Amino acid sequence: MAVALPGVTLPSVVEELLSEMAAAVQENAQIPDEHLLSLKFIFGSSAIQALDLVDRQSITLISSPSGRRVYQVLGSSGRTYTCLASCHYCSCPAFAFSVLRKNDSLLCKHLLAVYLSQVTRTCRQLQVSDKQLTDILFTKKKQEA
Amino acid sequence: MLRMAEALRRALNLGSSAESEEYTTEAGPPLLLLGGPGSGKTALLFTAALEAAGEGRGPVLFLTRRPLQSLPRGRGAALDPLRLQKIRFQYPPSTHELLQLLCSAHEARGPAPSLLLLDGLEEYLVGDWGPQEVAYLAALLLDTAAHFSHQIGPGQGCGLIVALQIQEQGDSGDALQLSLLQRYFPAQCWLQVDAQGPGQHCLRACLDPGGQGPRAEWWVAFRPDGEMTVTPWPAQAGNPSSDKGSSSEGQP
Repeated sequence: MAVALPGVTLPSVVEELLSEMAAAVQENAQIPDEHLLSLKFIFGSSAIQALDLVDRQSITLISSPSGRRVYQVLGSSGRTYTCLASCHYCSCPAFAFSVLRKNDSLLCKHLLAVYLSQVTRTCRQLQVSDKQLTDILFTKKKQEA
Repeated sequence: MLRMAEALRRALNLGSSAESEEYTTEAGPPLLLLGGPGSGKTALLFTAALEAAGEGRGPVLFLTRRPLQSLPRGRGAALDPLRLQKIRFQYPPSTHELLQLLCSAHEARGPAPSLLLLDGLEEYLVGDWGPQEVAYLAALLLDTAAHFSHQIGPGQGCGLIVALQIQEQGDSGDALQLSLLQRYFPAQCWLQVDAQGPGQHCLRACLDPGGQGPRAEWWVAFRPDGEMTVTPWPAQAGNPSSDKGSSSEGQP
């Protein structure tokens, strides 16, 4: 069985849940309660916060003509965090603390919100120039200083 | 000799299938090459570069802080100039420049690299690096390779191999840094000088594909003329005794 690679992929149980949710959403445009329960079971309070972010349409997929993409999430505090599209990285402090340092969370709420917005297809889309995408990727580090 | 280097390159590439829809490269998971000073990391990276350059797919991007002092031979008596031409060396002098290079990789014109190599990651991690910064650099490396893979399109994608020098007596900070990197680099290859192996300058390479296959070990030997040979480590349970590998060709 495939092993979860923490920085890169999700455990298969989470992958399965997300794809079940995606299928259900396609049929009913709503996430079934049982999936919400599973989500809460796996992710705890992050699940509620992530769903809230999705409801508020806080996730934006930014892409440039090059095809490179990055996500930005408007946090509840009003700050914007950057999440990479290809692997698990978020510029928020909770990611650094709970995920990286303490290793007691798989994802922060922003990364979970990104996954959920993919499932529910409620991601905003934004086109920027190649140069602007570089700036988004590069300066985010200094934002958190 | 041809097959040995090919076996190693394929071993380094691992050639596994994609794990998630976001991570579409089939060049194998990103690989972290670990070893002390003089354990052959640069030579191995360069061998991978030569092999990939010979595949006729895309150029190879080789990032390192300082130009290589000498070019390891890899396989074969002479370095093929056509292959060398396809290896693009860049020397970001600081972490800032490296980050900038990675963040702006999509702005570059021309064919996407089929292999992204970084030698001496430890030189970019000096200073006060918290977990977030280390993760950011690792994640950007992955993201850059993923972008190149996306540009290349369906097929093998762009591989990523990063070499990191580790200390024998690392402190807890080093251990934390390493575990962070291992999150993003599921496959690791550990290199160690091994006086018992065949050949003069012999290394033991232990490859852990990170859940995508069994671990495997090889002897990697460098002859005085720089030529490299790869021999499978004889399969044995925990006792690297004097049973030296034969000089037969390695098998994939």
